[in-house]
Amino acid sequence: MQAIRRILVYIDGSGESYSAVRLSVVLARSMGAELFALAVVNTRALGELVQAHIFLEAEREEYRRDLEGDVERYVNRVRELGRKKGVAVTAESVSGAVCEEIRNAVARHGADLLVLGEVAEVRSRREELAAETERAARMVPCSVLIAKDEDRIDDLYEAL
Amino acid sequence: MALIESIEASLVRVPLAATDKEGAIRELVGMLSEAGRVSDREAVLRAVLARETLGSTGLADGIAVPHGKTDAVPDLAIAVGVAPGGIDFGALDGQPSRLFFLIVAPPDKSGPHIQALSEIARLSRSKALCRAIVNAREPADVVGLLRGD
Repeated sequence: MQAIRRILVYIDGSGESYSAVRLSVVLARSMGAELFALAVVNTRALGELVQAHIFLEAEREEYRRDLEGDVERYVNRVRELGRKKGVAVTAESVSGAVCEEIRNAVARHGADLLVLGEVAEVRSRREELAAETERAARMVPCSVLIAKDEDRIDDLYEAL
Repeated sequence: MALIESIEASLVRVPLAATDKEGAIRELVGMLSEAGRVSDREAVLRAVLARETLGSTGLADGIAVPHGKTDAVPDLAIAVGVAPGGIDFGALDGQPSRLFFLIVAPPDKSGPHIQALSEIARLSRSKALCRAIVNAREPADVVGLLRGD
């Protein structure tokens, strides 16, 4: 029985999330698992900013376009990281709330492992409460792997 | 990067010397410039003032969040100012603004920019926290309150 068949990795453009991608590529290749990657245009945050009157409606649209451009770059980079090591990555971008979209993607792809980048050292109680990916880790029904030790992950990836 | 990680005591001023809206924005931009966070002070100022012409970023309950996108910063940059006496910022509720978060980011850093603004939106819902920040006497106290120390 194959322990891990489908891996989903969440990418937000941070260095930590690219480490998660590298580790996922290593795992996918060594376990023969399918690899999916998800990037999210956080439209919920944009909506909250309009609601809070920090953003004007026109700004919401402008920043949404910016974010769409950002996630397109993330997704292309993930595909490239997979391609370099001969691992096909099904990468997609969606719009919505990060936590919910991660959970939806886990269900949609039947992922049995979610890989997340390391969350930076928590320096405030408020930050801890606000961390979307930590909420996702608690809510998804599958196993969750937090990628840590960037140097070791880089070594593993380069050695593939 | 989280907002909390970006704020240092050197980027907090208590109290602001300015007494009007443009002066407050100038002072906050000046703080970023003095801290070496901007490559072109006037370009940052123009970006923030241009956004203000579309509508005031003065929210209710004494909080203002002037912001803008500009290539004149390499990264997300935040300055915080407190004006206990209040400054007329054209706020939604017509009340003077006392707590100012100036946020500028380059066009290709929209994600961190939105994250920072979202954190401020969340913080601004806590009237007790905002009141404590406005009553703070030292920049380090403001940083501590924002971090939840």
